[in-house]
Formats: sequence, structure tokens, C-alpha cells
Amino acid sequence: MIALACIGEPISWLELELFAIGRDDQRIASHVAACPACRHCLDEIRGDLVALPPLVVPQTPVARARAWWSRLVPAIALAAAAVIALVLWRDRAPEAVREDVVVVKGVGEVVLGVVRERGGVIREDVHSFGAGDRWKVVVTCPPSAAASVEVSVTEVGATASDHPLMPARIACGNRIVLPGAFTLTGTRANRVCAHVTSAGGDSGTACVTIAPE
Amino acid sequence: MGSRPESVSVPASRVDAASDPQSAYRAYGPALVRKAERILRSREDATDVVHALFVDLIPKWNRDVDLPYLYRAITNRCLNVVRDRGTRARLLEREQAAAAPVGRVRLEDQVVGVGLIAALAERLDEGHLQVLVCRFVDDMTQEEIALHLRLSRKTIGKRLDRIRDEVIHLRGQEAAS
Repeated sequence: MIALACIGEPISWLELELFAIGRDDQRIASHVAACPACRHCLDEIRGDLVALPPLVVPQTPVARARAWWSRLVPAIALAAAAVIALVLWRDRAPEAVREDVVVVKGVGEVVLGVVRERGGVIREDVHSFGAGDRWKVVVTCPPSAAASVEVSVTEVGATASDHPLMPARIACGNRIVLPGAFTLTGTRANRVCAHVTSAGGDSGTACVTIAPE
Repeated sequence: MGSRPESVSVPASRVDAASDPQSAYRAYGPALVRKAERILRSREDATDVVHALFVDLIPKWNRDVDLPYLYRAITNRCLNVVRDRGTRARLLEREQAAAAPVGRVRLEDQVVGVGLIAALAERLDEGHLQVLVCRFVDDMTQEEIALHLRLSRKTIGKRLDRIRDEVIHLRGQEAAS
């Protein structure tokens, strides 16, 4: 047992968890700054990686009375499909290659994502940065696998890369958050890449580009 | 070069965490697994309990679901697991090999684990066990527990006294045998 004595009344785990996911609380911030025991617990939370099994949410149709036009739906759908097929056939573009996805032997498909925090607001769907934004890297891969992930950040046009996060070994799962966070500065776009290596030594790289606003 | 490490952890997800089960699962799942693991001393079992809770919550999901609510639900689920004699034996076996937890709040100089919860589950009702977990596993103050469980502080105090009495009684029995 690790016996750690708090300097006063310990901050409960629930409060530490809420603080770790962004609740602004000056009382906790100052306590944690002064108390090694509670800081140790907060560091444990922040450094912990939890591999959650995927949660399948079934799609439940909304029951409502059928409108008269609903009988025409199959015919309309068929016509729409024919039009779409025609358009695609005439204007076929080469298949887009997703930069943020890589398949690594021994791991499977790995999807790289980034999370932006700006003034307390979290966005998972943006790829643009401003001053003071904080970024975290998330990785999704098949739950049965494990991988080593090394993150590099390269400014477009630059030859050298930064490695703002410590290399991490993760148990795969849905949107596994890598430990640590970083900020982006400058006026040029940055490529954030995750170099993923399997236990067998096979590797691959997935990247996302984050542009300045 | 444009990036620099940041020591402050970015929240996994805060905006609309409870808007749907998937978002809440992503945002709160890790915290709940850690909590369940502190009771069960097994990450595997803790993950199963959290996953099962969300699966059951999907059909009756509403936006009032927040982390404190889920914390209460996980406490109840874990207590059910500990009460189950079959799983309890397995958990007790694993507890010996599990990583030692951090002990900030102790009950009669003892860190509360599966063994003690199981022994007390034979003697105390659900309400007392919830207070036991809040105080000695989640490290909540009496005031926090009162708010968390929507009970008076006086009731919490009485329940904690009863818990201490039972632990002293248990120790007396162990010493006698």
C-alpha cells in the first residue's frame, strides 16, 4: 500500500476526475499544487490510459404514422440512386487516400485524431489553430491489439520535426488519448503524425494537418 | 518550430458529454473504470462493469446523466459484484496480486479493499455500504457524501459510526478465532 498523507482534507477522486476533465476549480488547483498526495492522485488520473471496449448503440427507428407519400419512397429512392450512379460514373475521381488512417501489420487499422481545447471548449472536429490552443492526440485501433505510438509535429516546409509527446505504448481501443498535450505556434500549417509500431516491429504513419486561422 | 509540450492535460470531452451514450462513454468511461478498479482491484472486471452499465443505460438515456450520477451507479454495480460469492472469491484472489492503491483516507488504519467490503456486506445494508465506498474508497468528505447521496450530514455521520463499530467488531472476532 502506498501511504500518502494529505496536507489537509483529501480532494475526493470524483472532484479530481472532474478537475482533470476540465472543471475550473481554484480550490482544487491550489490544494493540488501544495499537496503531494493529492497531486500524485491527479497525476495518476492524467497518466492513465483506459482501453474501453466499443459501445454499440443500436439505431431505433422513430415510430410514427405513415404519410401518404411514404408509399412513393421506394420509387423516389430508386430514381435518386440511378441519378447518383450516373453522376458518379460520369465524373469519377480517383479514390481519396485518407492520411489519418494507416494499416499496421500486427495492429490493424489505426485512425489518428486530434482534440483541440480553446478557452475551455473542446472540439474534436477542427483542424485549425490559434494562439493558446491546446492539442491532444487520440488513436483508435482494434481493441485486441497493442502498439507503440510516437508523435511528431512538422511545420510545413521545415525539415526538422518536434516530438512534443513522450512515446507511449497503448492498449488499443476507441479513441485512446495519448498522455500529454501540446500547443502550436507560428503562421504555417503543421503536420501532426503518429508513427505506430506493432510488437512485431511493423510500423506505419498516419498524419493530420492543422492549419493556422 | 511550431509546437511545444504542454503539461496541463486537455479534457477528453466536456462539451455535451451527456448528450448521448457514446459521448458520455468516451468522456466519463475512463474515470468510471478507475473508480470501479479501486473497489474491485481488477481493471478487467472494472471495464466489464462500466461497459455493462452503459449498455443498460442506452435505452433509458437522458441528458441528466452526469459523472456523479454514473459514480453512484458504478458503486451499486460494484457492490453487487462483491456480494456475489462466486465472483467475490475470484476478486479476493486477484486482490493479493493487484497493484497497491494509494491510501489517503483509511478506516481504522486499514485501506478498504474487496475483503473488507465483502465482510461488511454481510453485516451492513446497501445505504451503509454506499457511504463506506464514498468515504473510504472515493475519499469524499462527509459534506460531499451528503450532497452526493442526497442525505443529511447527520445520517452520514451515524452511518460512518455504525461502519466503524462493525469493523471493530470484525477485528474482535478475528482476534478471538
